[in-house]
Amino acid sequence: MNLELEWLTFKGVILRHFKEFVSYRTSVFATIIWPLPLLALNVYQYLGLASGQQVGQVLNAKYGIASFSGMIILGTIVYLLYNRMLWGTGASLQEERFNGTIESLFLTPANRMTVLLASGFSSLLEGAWWIVGVFLLSWVIFGVQPAIADWGAVIIALISTMIALIAVGVFFASFFVLTRAADQLATSLQAPIRYASGVAFPVAALPAVFQLFAYILPVTYGINALRSTVVQEGTLISLVGTLAPLYIFTAILIVAGHFILKRVEAQAKRNGSLYKI
Amino acid sequence: MSTLLLPDEGTAYVNGFDVAKQANEVRSSIGVVTGGERGLYWRLTGRENLLFFARLYGVREDKAKPRIEELLKLVELEDRANDNVEKYSRGMKQRLHLIRGLIHDPPTLLLDEPTLGLDPNSAVVVREFIKEKLQKEQGKTILLTTHYMEEADQLCDQIAVIDHGQIISKGTPAELKAGVQKIDVLRINATSVPESLISDVKLIGGVQEVKTSVIDPVAGLTEILVHTRSAEETLPHLTETMVKAGARVRLIEQSKPSLEDVFITLTGRRLRD
Repeated sequence: MNLELEWLTFKGVILRHFKEFVSYRTSVFATIIWPLPLLALNVYQYLGLASGQQVGQVLNAKYGIASFSGMIILGTIVYLLYNRMLWGTGASLQEERFNGTIESLFLTPANRMTVLLASGFSSLLEGAWWIVGVFLLSWVIFGVQPAIADWGAVIIALISTMIALIAVGVFFASFFVLTRAADQLATSLQAPIRYASGVAFPVAALPAVFQLFAYILPVTYGINALRSTVVQEGTLISLVGTLAPLYIFTAILIVAGHFILKRVEAQAKRNGSLYKI
Repeated sequence: MSTLLLPDEGTAYVNGFDVAKQANEVRSSIGVVTGGERGLYWRLTGRENLLFFARLYGVREDKAKPRIEELLKLVELEDRANDNVEKYSRGMKQRLHLIRGLIHDPPTLLLDEPTLGLDPNSAVVVREFIKEKLQKEQGKTILLTTHYMEEADQLCDQIAVIDHGQIISKGTPAELKAGVQKIDVLRINATSVPESLISDVKLIGGVQEVKTSVIDPVAGLTEILVHTRSAEETLPHLTETMVKAGARVRLIEQSKPSLEDVFITLTGRRLRD
């Protein structure tokens, strides 16, 4: 492995994504605006039924949720980042194809996995505003008070979640490139993940069969890790049960994404086409 | 050969590397230039596109930046290098494509229809760049694919004519033309040419191919190219047929076969069939 080439590729892709992202002001504007109504929607669907205090009491009594707004805000942040990966990294190879640049990209000696990982990292950077912005707004509007016992645990939970989300993006990217309908696939994956990963409610509230589905989703573990450390005074030790499966799924998705991508490229070389489904 | 596809059978080596087994080494040692609007990032500037691809080829910035300036000057794009590619004309994009393929200074270039869709002036600029800068000054090995026979004639030392995926003839432009010297080409300019004339001319003994094109729609002037085994034998019958058909002949001349004539003779069909 040529580490210099890997680094240059990684840097090149990130800078390219950043330039493309800021080249249209509307896309920057949309990125800033889009998450805010979603956050409000998640919160107000509860407040339409009862006051925040009453909702908080019920959630705490039934599911041990210490902060009603905190639960929703952290779930929403992870979901927003997941969406960013789905549309940013997941659809990245497909976008290269539609833009007519995939051949130019594949004609270089650059490592395809490095390109995808850098694309994932860029997507997270573009969505980084959401972590800061949404949390600040939630503090101002909804009065969320963080309950942090271990800042190290928060940082590890955040980084682990981000890496897991990049793995999700890489996996989707290698899969989406097989179809002409990547946009529709990405859309179809938004609502089920939002539902099953417990973005706006505890996973324990789901029927048992859906809870099984929830626990094969890295998004679920990412949300749980952040909820635990940011609003429930979780520590590194209490995180082990959440982070271990998160790391396992991250590794599986990266390996699977790498394997699928290699197969897809080999098939395209044989058939002269990437489309399969 | 560019490593985008695997060979159907057999092996191929580019710069000593196996295209199937050493794809990355091949990619590093060639520059591929495609024609058309695709292949560049439109939301990046020309300079940013070049720097991006330089990184993907592993060219460090301290080497890439002066190289980019040198290449931009070479194709006279330095004044527009900071504009987004989406603002470029077709010819400017093509020039950027060309230098993108040169960014890592490969010894071999694959040029795929490098003047496709360009206006005549831009096509001349691109062809001159390929011939003067890349071939003569830099001594690059160039594999060029084109449907423009005039371009192949002007740029190529060796030509392979491919029809239905098979090489049907190869050699220097002069050798290929010499191969069809036994074919005479008659060029006729005429007005009032009826549609039935083509089929009538094809019936004349020795005539192998007849091609027409309108060269002046206002004056109704049509050019007719006749490939025949013997101009001397065909000419009297041809003029008689044309007069009978009511065509008014302005010019008849015998010309040397061009590479286009070679292609038509070899494949038995026109270029864009």
